[in-house]
Amino acid sequence: MVVDEWARVVRHRSVAAGIYSISLEVPVIAAEAWPGQFVQLRLSDGIEPLLRMPLSIADARPDVGEIELLYECVGPKTEALSEIRIDTRLACLGPLGHGFTWPDSAHPSILVGGGIGLPPLLFLGRRLRAAGYAAVLLTGARTGEKHLPVAWLNPAASRVMQSTDDGTLGHAGLVTGLLDAELDDVAYPMVYSCGPRGMMAAVARNCRVRGIPCQVSLEEYMACGIGICAGCTVPVHRSDAGTHSAYGRYERVCVAGPVFDATIIDWDG
Amino acid sequence: MADLSVNLAGCRLANPVLLASGTCNYGEELAELTDLSGLGGVITKTITPSPRAGNPAPRIVETPAGLLNAIGLQNPGIDAFIAHRWPFLQKLNTRIVVNIAADTVEEFARMAVRLDRLQGIAALEINISCPNLKQGGMAFGVDPASAAAVVRAVKQATELPVIVKLTPNVTDITQVATAVEAAGADAVSLINTLVGMAVDVNLRRPVLGNITGGLSGPAIKPVALAMVWKVHRAVRLPVLGIGGIRTGRDALEFIIAGATAVQVGTATFTDPNAGIAIVRELHQYCVDQGISRLSDLTGSLAT
Repeated sequence: MVVDEWARVVRHRSVAAGIYSISLEVPVIAAEAWPGQFVQLRLSDGIEPLLRMPLSIADARPDVGEIELLYECVGPKTEALSEIRIDTRLACLGPLGHGFTWPDSAHPSILVGGGIGLPPLLFLGRRLRAAGYAAVLLTGARTGEKHLPVAWLNPAASRVMQSTDDGTLGHAGLVTGLLDAELDDVAYPMVYSCGPRGMMAAVARNCRVRGIPCQVSLEEYMACGIGICAGCTVPVHRSDAGTHSAYGRYERVCVAGPVFDATIIDWDG
Repeated sequence: MADLSVNLAGCRLANPVLLASGTCNYGEELAELTDLSGLGGVITKTITPSPRAGNPAPRIVETPAGLLNAIGLQNPGIDAFIAHRWPFLQKLNTRIVVNIAADTVEEFARMAVRLDRLQGIAALEINISCPNLKQGGMAFGVDPASAAAVVRAVKQATELPVIVKLTPNVTDITQVATAVEAAGADAVSLINTLVGMAVDVNLRRPVLGNITGGLSGPAIKPVALAMVWKVHRAVRLPVLGIGGIRTGRDALEFIIAGATAVQVGTATFTDPNAGIAIVRELHQYCVDQGISRLSDLTGSLAT
């Protein structure tokens, strides 16, 4: 059930360079949220900003009625969000979209996150482990100070490996390099990924070649988040494109996703 | 208890607030989040003779107090609409207006014939004003003679009331309005979006995949109001006001300027309940001002 719930900001802090964690008291959403789902946060009752801001759920705790969101300050909207104080009330619509599905086996799955694509994977890792599955987390960032502290990552995986483009922390190079080495060594039942499009395309290609199931969580510019504007579409492979489906070769990320089986995305489209 | 009902070209609406085409899809998603039966009506996303995939991404970008979109009329086509979308819409306890677009006058007429056979459509809205198509679309809406030809053909093809959705991207919108009135239109709705553009200065590229898009939201409200006022004075037809309406006061501005009804569009993207909130605010205004019939305010602007 999707609700527009009044959220109270209970915590709001910087966790890495330009990266913030905000915790909201939203008991209904916290109880319903599933990894991969997102919320639409309304930053103003007025006209600036006009649209809500979609944010992936980084954790949900039904016991205390809270969700956690992680975001990087990169533009006017996230800057406005970063100035929101504790106890502020914000309209929060959610939980929205379709999340991840479980792997076929309890053998460890790999979670591959790039940049600010990490939040849904942290939620996924916690829930996977709570359900008796194991998870390994690979995470990449441009530079060391953009990485979340390991304490934030540990609850999501039994093993965490980090990479940086500039070599200032962990493996020097792309996180896809770490993934390649892992897949060479171990037969994993599932790869989960969220991050920049190019990274996810590389992960999807790698998994397809190796015959490993892969789920990706896509991030697209959104207006409504509920499937009524058709603004956040991605090109998909589909045999019935343009005939029976309303959305033909373009699928709405907000309602059909944001999590997709990586093989149905047309990464070159 | 104030009377909010309006008569739109012979069709009675419980109140003057409709959801605009392209901002409520085919009703299914919003039915979960708001009470569609509390609205005056719902206008479907445009349907076309064949399915349309729509434009490549990015399709939308937020601009100051506005939203720029270039969706490209992505829709399942009339066959799939009738088979898969209409059964749901038909059961909704509100007025359903079906919005149509086509590349030729003949195709417009053929669609009207087919929709005329469905039971329960309140009216057709003819989209001759979409700015995001290479052909058809706005081309009809910027030329009074072409617009009139579409209206004549559709009127001959159906008994349903015909609303013509007008584009603001013209030198004089009253010329198109008077032409479609003469051609037999039952009402006009305005404004569709204004052609706009956003540029990414780092990439030195357009932000939208389609380069240009249609601007909606509060940013266009003053433009829309002026056009509604001008068209209301130029024609005898009922006018549906559209453009940046997000509160009851916004809706009242349009009604006072000459609108019989209003359409809420972009506001629903921020608040799925926006239309219902506007209905409530209109009612409260009538109570506070001692107005027994809201429709008495249409065109009451003192100048």
